[in-house]
Amino acid sequence: MTGRKVVGVNVRKVEGHKLVTGAPAFTDDIEMQGMLYGKILPSPHAHARIKRIDTRKAKALAGVHAVLTYKDVPRVPHTTAGQAWPEPSPYDTYLLDSKVRFVGDRVAAVAAESRAIAEKALRLIEVDYEVLPAVIDMELAMAPGAAVIHDEPDSTKIYDRSHNIAGYILREIGSVEQGFRESDFVVEREFRTHRQQHTPLEPHITICWLDPNGRLVIRTSSQVPYHTRRQVGQILQIPVSSIHVIKPRMGGGFGGKQEMLLEDICGALTLASRRPVKMEFTREEEFYMARSRHPQRLRMKMGVKRDGTVLASQLTVLATTGAYGSHSTTVQGNTGSKVLPLYRAPHMRFECHVVYTNAPVAGAFRGYGCPQGFFAQETLVDEIACELGMDPLDFHRMNVIRLGDTDLLSAQLGEGKEGLPRVVRSCGLPQCMESAARAIGWAQKRKKFPSGHSHLRRGVGMACTMQGSGIAGVDWASAFLKMNEDGSFYLQVGASDVGAGADTVLSQIAAETLGVTLDKVIITSGDTDITPFDVGAYASSTTIISGGAVKKAAGKVRAQVLEVASRMLDAPVDQLDCANNEVFTTCACRKAVSMTDLAMQAMYKEKFQIMDGASHFNTDSPPPFCATFAEVEVDTETGQVHVLHLASAVDPGTAINPMQAEGQVEGAVAQGLGYALTEELVLDADGRPLNPNFLDYKMFGFQDMPKLTTILIETDEPLGPYGAKSISEVPINGPAPAIANAIFHAVGIRIRKLPIRPEDVLRALHAERPANLDEEAMFAL
Amino acid sequence: MFERVEVFYRPASVREAVRLLAGGKGRARIVAGGTDLVVDGDPTARALIDITHSGLAYIRKQGGGCAIGAATTMAELEESRTILALGGGILARAAATCGSIQIRGVATVGGNLANGSPAADLVTPLLVLDAVVVVADAKGRRKLPIAEYLAARGTKGLRQSLLVEVTAPRPLGRRCGWSFQKLGRTALDISVVNVAAGLQVDGAGRIQWARVALGAVAPTAIRAGATEENLQGRTLDAEAIAQAAEGVMREVSPISDVRASAAYRREMCRVLTRRALEECAAQAGCAL
Ligand SMILES: Cc1cc2nc3c(=O)[nH]c(=O)nc-3n(C[C@H](O)[C@H](O)[C@H](O)COP(=O)(O)OP(=O)(O)OC[C@H]3O[C@@H](n4cnc5c(N)ncnc54)[C@H](O)[C@@H]3O)c2cc1C
Repeated sequence: MTGRKVVGVNVRKVEGHKLVTGAPAFTDDIEMQGMLYGKILPSPHAHARIKRIDTRKAKALAGVHAVLTYKDVPRVPHTTAGQAWPEPSPYDTYLLDSKVRFVGDRVAAVAAESRAIAEKALRLIEVDYEVLPAVIDMELAMAPGAAVIHDEPDSTKIYDRSHNIAGYILREIGSVEQGFRESDFVVEREFRTHRQQHTPLEPHITICWLDPNGRLVIRTSSQVPYHTRRQVGQILQIPVSSIHVIKPRMGGGFGGKQEMLLEDICGALTLASRRPVKMEFTREEEFYMARSRHPQRLRMKMGVKRDGTVLASQLTVLATTGAYGSHSTTVQGNTGSKVLPLYRAPHMRFECHVVYTNAPVAGAFRGYGCPQGFFAQETLVDEIACELGMDPLDFHRMNVIRLGDTDLLSAQLGEGKEGLPRVVRSCGLPQCMESAARAIGWAQKRKKFPSGHSHLRRGVGMACTMQGSGIAGVDWASAFLKMNEDGSFYLQVGASDVGAGADTVLSQIAAETLGVTLDKVIITSGDTDITPFDVGAYASSTTIISGGAVKKAAGKVRAQVLEVASRMLDAPVDQLDCANNEVFTTCACRKAVSMTDLAMQAMYKEKFQIMDGASHFNTDSPPPFCATFAEVEVDTETGQVHVLHLASAVDPGTAINPMQAEGQVEGAVAQGLGYALTEELVLDADGRPLNPNFLDYKMFGFQDMPKLTTILIETDEPLGPYGAKSISEVPINGPAPAIANAIFHAVGIRIRKLPIRPEDVLRALHAERPANLDEEAMFAL
Repeated sequence: MFERVEVFYRPASVREAVRLLAGGKGRARIVAGGTDLVVDGDPTARALIDITHSGLAYIRKQGGGCAIGAATTMAELEESRTILALGGGILARAAATCGSIQIRGVATVGGNLANGSPAADLVTPLLVLDAVVVVADAKGRRKLPIAEYLAARGTKGLRQSLLVEVTAPRPLGRRCGWSFQKLGRTALDISVVNVAAGLQVDGAGRIQWARVALGAVAPTAIRAGATEENLQGRTLDAEAIAQAAEGVMREVSPISDVRASAAYRREMCRVLTRRALEECAAQAGCAL
């Protein structure tokens, strides 16, 4: 912390001016000559075979330049999950196929001179379907006789296709059986979570064209430009060298854009029409043709000693990935590996089936499996604490992971393979708990039993959560820097700023290392022709991994700068330092040279370009921690739950930009509140979405937001640049369990299903039984 | 959306609007704020008739009551002194719950009624206020009590007519109480259930006049006629309110949809009716 000039400072976003003045910064902000509009014909059926498809009328329509069906494109099994090669997700997806597997699946695609013509052309495509029995309910997916969703022989990496099992995970540390035997109390509960959609302000959008050299340019709103380049090459069977992916400013991704979703089909239409093609999801399409959060059924069992010590925990999950297995085992793996080790139990077991259903495809979503797991774990832990007569805060104080602990479950559960053990090298969780508890008034409010008279009852609840910072041993990034004549630096990173502020944070890290002010760093990011490789924006990796690459590259460039300065100032390098755009001697003589003069010297006298690059990866994924405390008011007549105050205290390591970090917490909390209470994409029995619109998919708006308290508890992470870990995901995990626990405190009912709908609260209130009855049932061993 | 629309008219008077509508051969649609019409995107529309410049945005005092032009916006209703004074301000209160500030700036009372949503928030207060709707077509103007208008809205005769204004009669005088209650999933939401109520008691606390209207629990917003009758002449006390609240549950016919189940809606009719009548009682000076 000492002496830092740019890191840790609330500088403004480097692209802020451009955004607020409406400069053409986003994918959609260009208009190309002859640009066509691409549209996908979505399947009206959850499961069907295309018996006949006739596109002649559509092709004959004036203004139509390309119509594609499965007959016109290469058949390459792949995954749309934007993951490092080789992707751990099943290769079960095709550019276009003769079978459709969910309502909204691709049947055909057209490119036409206007959106209206494209839509008309879609209506002219004649399709005969053989409608197949569909599996909508995940509980029935593995049942004997259930329709087989992926019966095609060429898909690979599917765990058990005949039973619709995309992936299966089983890991055990110690012996839970022994752990439960040694426990004084064992509690087991079942939880259910639902389908949440990312709802980015900017839906998926891609514009493709052929540049004068005939290379395919893909301008796209993507978290993963490099993975997209590789995957599009694989799917369209063209060399990577003939693809150029550009990621402009983005209007949010939240994981939904860690996916190659429109780029392949848009590219195919461009190759077929030889014209620029734009494809964009409407809001409705975004809801069911893009991705969503995996619904899960979780059975959680915990064994504790009488004094509250956790001995064993076991989580058994059934999850559905929808029609395709994008991120299927990795999201679910996280539900175990990032959740269970929060407690220092010697015995842990995680088992999970991820099944296919004829439903919209689930994928990466902020939290990546953790919101589901923590909802179960933190609600169960609250129940156990209450039944033991312990304050849940004390229970957490006693049991949560500590500095110096090694999380062994992570060693067994990596990204689709064995992982690496996680060592806690920085941990602000105790301070997080104490400060958020203070902010919510825990001590007073827990003591005062909520008054029983009015129909409005208040309660407070808490939850502790953690996440990772990059995927250990998998995620890597690179950065390149060169110096300009005016002493500024050009920074090129493959990192993909989704709107969360990566460009600013990475510039801050470069500026700090180089001893220049922020305006002396000009950043270009996420362009596969210009910037070096980066896996992309996911897994809370950008600050720690891409930032690590920037710091290394800047360190190397700094060394070059100091060498030039050493010649100019006639002083040894070890007596030089740089700050405020100059290099100066640290000895008593106080000589200095400005970066500008230094640059001119290097370029025109010494005739060499100060420049260098570096790559970076970590073999560990330092966890950021979060304590979430909620105060709610329950209307016992309507079942409505009002969140009055939500306090999040987060340990992100060093906050490179505290203001942006707080913004990430607040955004995650808003999304977490919606997840807890109102947001759900609902399907009917035939797999059709009932509410693919903002009228009936209810997000938290400004008026719904509770009072927020956001606290950053900074620690110094040895593996992170300037001590930074991550922040954008972890705060989304806490609201649901904290609210469920606050509801229990307020009205004595346990909520184990999300979202917490007023109807369900009311039903539970009506069914409420005396607490001691519950207790007996609970400890029946 | 509206790809087939060939003309967009902006008539300067009611007469011209009516003429254009009659000449539209059933393919002309009136547009006011457009907050329902544009969302629906009716593909059969060939002509749009914008009535926001037809002299229909007004709130006038009239014979002790008031007249509200069809193109008056929610925002105007919310802030109007006349509307705030009318029936304890329930119409203003309902208007203030409609959508966001941007929606309320353009959404109109005429559109709210003509669109015919069972959840339209202005309808229950207007039912309680005994409002009358004035419609015009090529044959002339007609007055219809609002309930009749709601029932006949879909018929051929009314589909071809322009809603000109809504009038509310002279207020009732002393010892009245009024309430508007809305239940949504979030702050900005279409009603899952809404209830409006109004009543007047005599010196002994007996109910002289009562209105209870419920929205989103039947094909149109309805008045709970039997409940109103049962309240008539009774002393306004907790028991009367509890019975009325139970009673409305038998008068509604809610459906289950993605917003709520029928059972929940029915239960909420009870809760909101009780809350509405309790508020009325407090305003009418009746201790419960
Ligand atoms: C985001 C959002 C939130 C909303 N929230 C609410 C809410 O909370 N509560 C609520 O009640 N509504 C809500 N609505 C619905 C809508 O805003 C209201 O119903 C509004 O009053 C409609 O008025 P308008 O002027 O926009 O009607 P328009 O959309 O212009 O017209 C609606 C219909 O009425 C017809 N019409 C309009 N004026 C006349 C007339 N004078 N004579 C004959 N026919 C006519 C039109 O032809 C059309 O069929 C919401 C809408 C949106 C988009």
